[in-house]
Amino acid sequence: MAADFWASYQSKQLLSVEEVSRVAEEDLELGLTLQDTRLIKIAMTTYMRDLAQQAKLRQRVVATAVCYMRRMYVSKSLCEYDPRLVAPACLYLASKAEESVAQAKLLVFYAKKLKPGPENGAYQLEVKDLLDMELRVLEALDFRLVVYHPYRAAVQYLNDAKLTDVMQTTWSLLNDVYRTDLPLLHPPHVVALGCIHLAAFLKDRDAKPWLEDLKADMHAVRAVQMELLDHYEQYANIDPALTAAAMAKLPIRTRAART
Amino acid sequence: MENYEKLEKVGEGTYGKVYKARCKKTGHIVALKKTRLDMEEEGVPSTALREVSLLQMLSTSIYVVRLLCVEHIDENDKPMLYLVFEYLDTDLKKFMDLNGRGPEKPLPSALIKRFMYQLCKGVAHCHSHGVMHRDLKPQNLLVDKDKRLLKIADLGLGRAFTVPLKSYTHEIVTLWYRAPEVLLGATHYSTPVDMWSVGCILAEMSRKNPLFPGDSELQQLLHIFKQLGTPNEQIWPGVSKLRDWHEYPQWPRQDIARAVPLLSKEGVDLLEKCLQYEPAKRISAKDAMIHPYFDDLDKSLV
Repeated sequence: MAADFWASYQSKQLLSVEEVSRVAEEDLELGLTLQDTRLIKIAMTTYMRDLAQQAKLRQRVVATAVCYMRRMYVSKSLCEYDPRLVAPACLYLASKAEESVAQAKLLVFYAKKLKPGPENGAYQLEVKDLLDMELRVLEALDFRLVVYHPYRAAVQYLNDAKLTDVMQTTWSLLNDVYRTDLPLLHPPHVVALGCIHLAAFLKDRDAKPWLEDLKADMHAVRAVQMELLDHYEQYANIDPALTAAAMAKLPIRTRAART
Repeated sequence: MENYEKLEKVGEGTYGKVYKARCKKTGHIVALKKTRLDMEEEGVPSTALREVSLLQMLSTSIYVVRLLCVEHIDENDKPMLYLVFEYLDTDLKKFMDLNGRGPEKPLPSALIKRFMYQLCKGVAHCHSHGVMHRDLKPQNLLVDKDKRLLKIADLGLGRAFTVPLKSYTHEIVTLWYRAPEVLLGATHYSTPVDMWSVGCILAEMSRKNPLFPGDSELQQLLHIFKQLGTPNEQIWPGVSKLRDWHEYPQWPRQDIARAVPLLSKEGVDLLEKCLQYEPAKRISAKDAMIHPYFDDLDKSLV
């Protein structure tokens, strides 16, 4: 309860690569590797996006939900907080925090239709599970629900840099940022600049003079760009069998076992 | 919740009871806002979540009530959420009635100015963070009597606005402080709705009576029209296109100074600027802070 408890929270929550690359003890025991945890989080990111499309939720809700999920797993294990439950719960929570509330019933309906992986026939999600997990997610996040995103900053930068012709490319890169832990590592404006830098490069435009004028932290901007390129190299074409194998290491908890 | 000792119930918030309590560890007095969680259908109420997220953003200003923490516990097997706030002894409504109700017992004009400045500063802080309150009223403004400090509370209906604004439900502000565009069913409204409320609150502090005490949406509009004149397309372009616009009795504009006889000339000018019909012409909180009404206020002491 320090005086400025929340004041600089956004900056305090930025993490290091080491912190987001740790695999929880309990997960290691189940044989999950760092690669496995990454694949699961990517699969859940896709799952949340698809679920959101069905439930007609905005991209902003997805972005916030993914940040909740990724922030959670920095301190919590996948086996204790089943991602197949966490993903819809994060989406539900984000829909409330971003003021486009989805009905719990409806989300559960779509979640049942759209199972998070082929091997989950035995997996049943009910409204009660969603609401229970919502509370657990809230507590794991310490009730910190405000997430800042790079989209708006990116639009402003692109206008300022007269690079609006790479808007579409930048936008796609920004969406892909959520398939990585980048939103936990860098402030939104740096993420925006990293995507612009990369988009300009891909489209044969020169953003350098403008970036140098901006006196941005070029080291961080380049780090974002490298991380993204790295992601594309490693995860552009994921073998679904690998993801399925990773998911199979997680125990399927029946409702009785969870309570 | 074993960390807190409930002392008394002090009120009912938008979505639950509010208690005065003592933190057993620190001895500090806090306000606990209790929310029941509906574990059958919708879980944590979105108003509570919204208030938590907005306060996380806004609690950096001393003119916004400070959220200390959030606790989740089970009471008799029912899940409850407690928002733990700093405690303030009263609210502006109770404060105004403290020395007796009605215009015969006016508040000191220097104090009105001080509160008004703090209110504008708090509202400006919210607006600069992209948050409109939407339910400003004396009951939602907490007052520290000793420090003569006013703080904005109850952000349950607050909304972080992101451009472009989309349609809002318009069942929000308590009628008396509700802006005319909301009453007329505007679907795209923004921060000026708060400044209308600020104007109503200034007038109420000065006259010790609500300015527009309507008891239905229509009555509320008629109260406003009788005082400020029935608006038309000249005064407020676009008004007749608003969803709930009808033909109304034609009233001429009255001199607002007569409704607030104790308010200074500059105060009346600020009031008029808050009560502009056309939302875009209404004064902003930031501009209100540099209005001549506050010229003789020592802002370093506020």
